[in-house]
Amino acid sequence: MRPFAQPASGGAQRPAGSSGDTDDAGHIEYRVAHLRDRLAAEELAELGVRAEVRAGSVVVSGTVPSAECREVLLRTVHEELAGLAVHTDVVVAETASPDHAEDLP
Amino acid sequence: MIRVAAVGDIHMGPDSQGLLRPAFDTLDECADLLLLAGDLTRHGTPEEARVVAREVRGLPVPVVAVLGNHDHHDEQPEKVTGILQEAGVTVLEGEGTVVECAGSRVGIAGTKGFCGGFVGRSAGEFGEPLMKEFVRYTRRSADALHGALEDLGRDGCDVRIALTHFSPVADTLAGEPPEIYPFLGSYLLAEAIDTAGADLSVHGHAHMGTEHGMTAGGVRVRNVAQPVIRRAFNVYQLHAA
Repeated sequence: MRPFAQPASGGAQRPAGSSGDTDDAGHIEYRVAHLRDRLAAEELAELGVRAEVRAGSVVVSGTVPSAECREVLLRTVHEELAGLAVHTDVVVAETASPDHAEDLP
Repeated sequence: MIRVAAVGDIHMGPDSQGLLRPAFDTLDECADLLLLAGDLTRHGTPEEARVVAREVRGLPVPVVAVLGNHDHHDEQPEKVTGILQEAGVTVLEGEGTVVECAGSRVGIAGTKGFCGGFVGRSAGEFGEPLMKEFVRYTRRSADALHGALEDLGRDGCDVRIALTHFSPVADTLAGEPPEIYPFLGSYLLAEAIDTAGADLSVHGHAHMGTEHGMTAGGVRVRNVAQPVIRRAFNVYQLHAA
């Protein structure tokens, strides 16, 4: 897990009706919801990444298909959650062949 | 012995061309066929479908696929299907196909499937037209899966596999938030599998789920979403009766 100790900066594009920069727990939840909407709607079409509020921080975790997707995802998270403490654990899907088969007798 | 390779949720886009091909090129060393359990693209665009098509064209084993919800997002599933078919992929939706493997007839019945949830925690066909259609869509998918599996049985297949994108059981969703289970699968698919009979059920969709599960009737279920198996594909060895 890679914490972002410093507040993410700049460029946030929030949907109409989203909260401002408050760190009130309730508003954080709405901002996380808007992040999830944006991840699904934009170029990533990402529905498989989890974003959760934990003790006032946001934890974003999951697996994405490529390194480029990971970059876009993290940039979007920074933008959408600017000013919040965010921890990420996002990995790229592994593409190696399996080293064994499962026998199903 | 029949060696079945399977993966789902590869979510290919222009930036992922070539990522899976090196592993796919080794398939003839370890598998007799490859199953793709849907969500092959991100938005279901023809451009993304062509990335998938190039990734699987000319593979050394037969490729059988179902589409996933992502492959429907651009509302051109027929076009996505056509592009994959042109690349040699057999794309199933409510139907079956037979692949000859190692002297055995392997029947694969496939459908995307849909949502609704699991026994005791499922959506009902009641109330608003939209709600009723939600459940009926899943029921039609399950009915088609049932029919396809029965047809494969009558055709004398040595092994039958149910291939879906959505999950037939809750077992393989473990790791996902329980609140969203109703959006990840439906018991109607499992009921179809158990009543028609199958030797293996393969699905994707639940990225944070678990690989292993079983239907109430004892059919083994495998969630092969790429984030779950953490490989280009997994291989399951089945034995003809």
